[in-house]
Amino acid sequence: MSGLKRMMLGALAAGLMAGVTPAKADFWADAGKEFSGVTIRGISESTPPSNYVKNVLGPAFTKATGINVEFEATSWDQMYDKAIKDMEANTGIYDFVYIEQDAVYGYLSRDFLVDLTKFIAENPKLKAPDYDPANFTTFANYFKGKDGDLFGVPMEAFIKVYLYRKDLFEDPAVKAAFKAKYNRDLAPAKNHAEYTEIADFFTQWGKDKGIELWGSTVQANTGHPASWYEYVESVAPTFGVYNWGIDPANNFAATVEHGGKMNSPEAKAALQFWLDLLKNAPPESTASTWDEVAATFAAGRAAQGLVYGENAAWIATDDSKSKVVGKVGVALPPVEPGVMEAAEAGTGYIGYYDGGAFGIPHSSKNKGAAALFLEYIAQPSVQADWAVAGSRITLQSTYDDPKVKAQDAKTDGYYTLMRDQGKLFAGAPAYPFHNQLREAVAPIFWQAISGELSASDALDQMATTAEAELTKLGYRK
Amino acid sequence: MTRNRPGLSLLFWLVASLVTLFPIYWMFVVSARSRVELFSAPSFLIKSFFSENYLNTIHDPTYQKYMLNSIVIATSNALLVTVLALLACYALSRYKLSGKENIFFWTITNRMAPPAAFLLPLFLLYTQVFVVGDWKMFDTRIGLILLYCVFNLPFAIWTLRGVIDAIPRELDEAAFVDGASTWQVLIHVILPLARPGLAVTAILCWVFAWNEYLFAATLTSVNARTITTGLAEFVTVTGTNWGQMAATAMLTLIPAVAFLALVQKHIVAGLTFGAVKG
Amino acid sequence: MQSQTLGWLLLAPTLLILAVFGLTPFLYVLVVSFFDWNSFAADPTMRFSGLSNYRHLVFDKGFLMALWNTFKFGVFAVVSQIVLGYFLAQLFMKDFPLKGFFRTIHTLPLMIAPVAVGATWRLMTVPGLGPIPYYLNQWFGYEFLISRFAGQAFMTAVIMDIWHWTPLVTLTLLAALSSMPKEPFEQAQIDGANRYQTFWYVTLPMLKPAILSALFIRLMDAMRTVDEIWMLTGGGPGSATRFIGLYIWRIVFPKTDYGYGSAMSLITLYLTIVLCWLLYAGLVARRDLRKPE
Repeated sequence: MSGLKRMMLGALAAGLMAGVTPAKADFWADAGKEFSGVTIRGISESTPPSNYVKNVLGPAFTKATGINVEFEATSWDQMYDKAIKDMEANTGIYDFVYIEQDAVYGYLSRDFLVDLTKFIAENPKLKAPDYDPANFTTFANYFKGKDGDLFGVPMEAFIKVYLYRKDLFEDPAVKAAFKAKYNRDLAPAKNHAEYTEIADFFTQWGKDKGIELWGSTVQANTGHPASWYEYVESVAPTFGVYNWGIDPANNFAATVEHGGKMNSPEAKAALQFWLDLLKNAPPESTASTWDEVAATFAAGRAAQGLVYGENAAWIATDDSKSKVVGKVGVALPPVEPGVMEAAEAGTGYIGYYDGGAFGIPHSSKNKGAAALFLEYIAQPSVQADWAVAGSRITLQSTYDDPKVKAQDAKTDGYYTLMRDQGKLFAGAPAYPFHNQLREAVAPIFWQAISGELSASDALDQMATTAEAELTKLGYRK
Repeated sequence: MTRNRPGLSLLFWLVASLVTLFPIYWMFVVSARSRVELFSAPSFLIKSFFSENYLNTIHDPTYQKYMLNSIVIATSNALLVTVLALLACYALSRYKLSGKENIFFWTITNRMAPPAAFLLPLFLLYTQVFVVGDWKMFDTRIGLILLYCVFNLPFAIWTLRGVIDAIPRELDEAAFVDGASTWQVLIHVILPLARPGLAVTAILCWVFAWNEYLFAATLTSVNARTITTGLAEFVTVTGTNWGQMAATAMLTLIPAVAFLALVQKHIVAGLTFGAVKG
Repeated sequence: MQSQTLGWLLLAPTLLILAVFGLTPFLYVLVVSFFDWNSFAADPTMRFSGLSNYRHLVFDKGFLMALWNTFKFGVFAVVSQIVLGYFLAQLFMKDFPLKGFFRTIHTLPLMIAPVAVGATWRLMTVPGLGPIPYYLNQWFGYEFLISRFAGQAFMTAVIMDIWHWTPLVTLTLLAALSSMPKEPFEQAQIDGANRYQTFWYVTLPMLKPAILSALFIRLMDAMRTVDEIWMLTGGGPGSATRFIGLYIWRIVFPKTDYGYGSAMSLITLYLTIVLCWLLYAGLVARRDLRKPE
């Protein structure tokens, strides 16, 4: 932790120095004059990328422009709740809000956000020389409206990858034992059958050797939305069930009967595969949300697993938090036959491209100052340190920075994978009713995990419930 | 009442304290370990002390502010509520007010509502109605101090009503005959006799205000945030920082115990007073 | 008797604060409960829907299940707390060495925020981190996994609540015991009452207001519990610990179903009032009738 702090201080110093470099200082100082003494307030989840904004970029921006930044870092639920209440009631408490990728559609449908492209075009004085929307990675596309205008400045982006224990996979004794048992070489799984086999093998290996090791992590919390997300974002797509199995083009059908896929045979196979993994997962898996899966992997208790990318870097490099530093391999998630081809053709995807942006609510009373701040954090010069602190990348140019490259090497090429294969991953489907539908069906899903319902029954009930909820919400006619 | 065997009592309390302290001890164990150490097999022993969990919180100005806010809010609220409830209970106990039993029962219904649905109207009140010029009640300490009365006043009134009712009326009547005013009766007759009740009420109101989470999280943002909401900030997608969370929770015990020690002696004082009177 | 005006004046600040911060939001919630209103529905505006929210509640299996679970939770936890709290308060009435010290220790659980209490109990019970499943397994071969087994999760929630809130009952009853006049006890002794008789005819009637207020406060708070359970289990596994406070929170927060959530809140409020009223009438009125003054 002190390491991170020192790094942040160093970055702060660097940021401050950047602030006094003459050429750049001119713009920020000049643009800031108009808003001198203004305080802008933002809200975000207290994650490393956000905390970097709070502790480093905010103060640096204040130094450069004279605009104060109050940054509220809070819990995930609170962040949503307060931002929505503020925008709904048109209160104007927040001048910039965190928009998670899956929330943007809801916000756009309610017209909560300022069109940044238009706003900056209308206020040319506020256009920073360094601000270049073309430099964003494709992830920025998720925050664009119908005519391609940007409504949020991406601040973090990750892919959910397949992590495996490189040290174990390359251990000759392990390899020999695996070969003897399954008559093939041990390598990261390409499909689900291989994945299950490897999970079985390592669970048995842990038992035989008397060590606390299991075959796979599973994000299967029985009372938290994280489990539902792992299934719909990362497991179902690899079986060819996309967009939660709902067909928006077909009156938002979810049941097979009406043309949906939520309870299709593929979906049932996917859920069964995932539930079966629990046998090969450490016992805490049914209590695991997104962060606990990472903790399980970092504790060395699982040989492989699907882990959110924001955790990949610290698991692989930070020995104050992780026991598996230098032992982590990164690969693409295993898929059913045909799915990879569909993803490459652009008709499917194999996992979740996650992240978020900062946007300005219409209710903000300091839009100009907020826009300056968003441009400030989108400058190429501040990206590299931010990437190292939070393993997030939103600008194409950041990939080439030496600091990022150094970290890339330590994480077995996580950034390279994200850059080259990022196109195979997708964000959440373009539904404005994410939380609403999830809350309606997730309770049934949890019953499948705790064994009260079979995979097949659970999905049948979920599909029916989903259609009923969508009818109630008025999307399904 | 019963024979007093101090040795036996002592033994009982030693055992009972172990049960009470175990979760707190475990919290301390977690707070003393680094994130990596937490991953080893659970052990009750503390081999080394990972002080960074504590130092990070102590040196973080944000958490210093949260802590100060919590102290100010909880203490002001506890004092305000205790005084108001004393006045209210005196009125309910000694005056013939029409419908007072209904009012008494109504007060407690304010504590019954599940809080979640009430957050929206409160948010609107705090951001759009209670606004004077540039000042909003949102994100202010006074906002929470007043709001916490909604669940603390019913509690205090219900606890103190019995205490005041139990004080014989003859005592205030005697004082009135001697020419005392209502205030003098309250301060010189009721207050001393109700001290244990008042002390316990103040302690528990303080506790409720100190620990409250949902309202504080919704109705504050940066300036008036409390330490309880600060605790929830450690739970994030990239790993809950259990160690620092536990350390912070341990630190919150310090002002709590200080307040407890300060007020608790009045429970004893009341006791001796009762004994003298008896 | 003194003037009534002064009595009302003494009550006024309390009533004013409760009206502004308690009644106003209540009225708002009442109005919203008659509307269909979800920020992220196809039509995000408020539409009057009469009693339809209330009608749906009767058939909402999740809601009924949550109510039943909450009721069970409340009964288990609160009854244990009252009995245990009374017992401990009586013990604190005696003199023994280090009394103040032990009383402080016994009050400590109250001083920990529910969020942290939930976190601590979670850390004690999560496999891989917590000692409880580890040692239960090592010593007794017992599989303890509250994220999987509903009964274990429910009992853990109850025990956590007892641990956290028994001190409140102890303190409340201690205050009442401390300010009790000594005469009735002396009189009872003179009349030759035994311990049981003294308890039943002297202590209990005099303690009744305090017991009742502790009972009500705990019962209500158990019905409102959100943060502790949210940290411990999140309501799982399945619906085992999804108590009504948490259920409403899910409807109003992530689901933004304001109208339905409001109706649910009010029904819960109403049921709590009825429950408390029945207890109040049953425990206070009946005994007072029997006892001629």
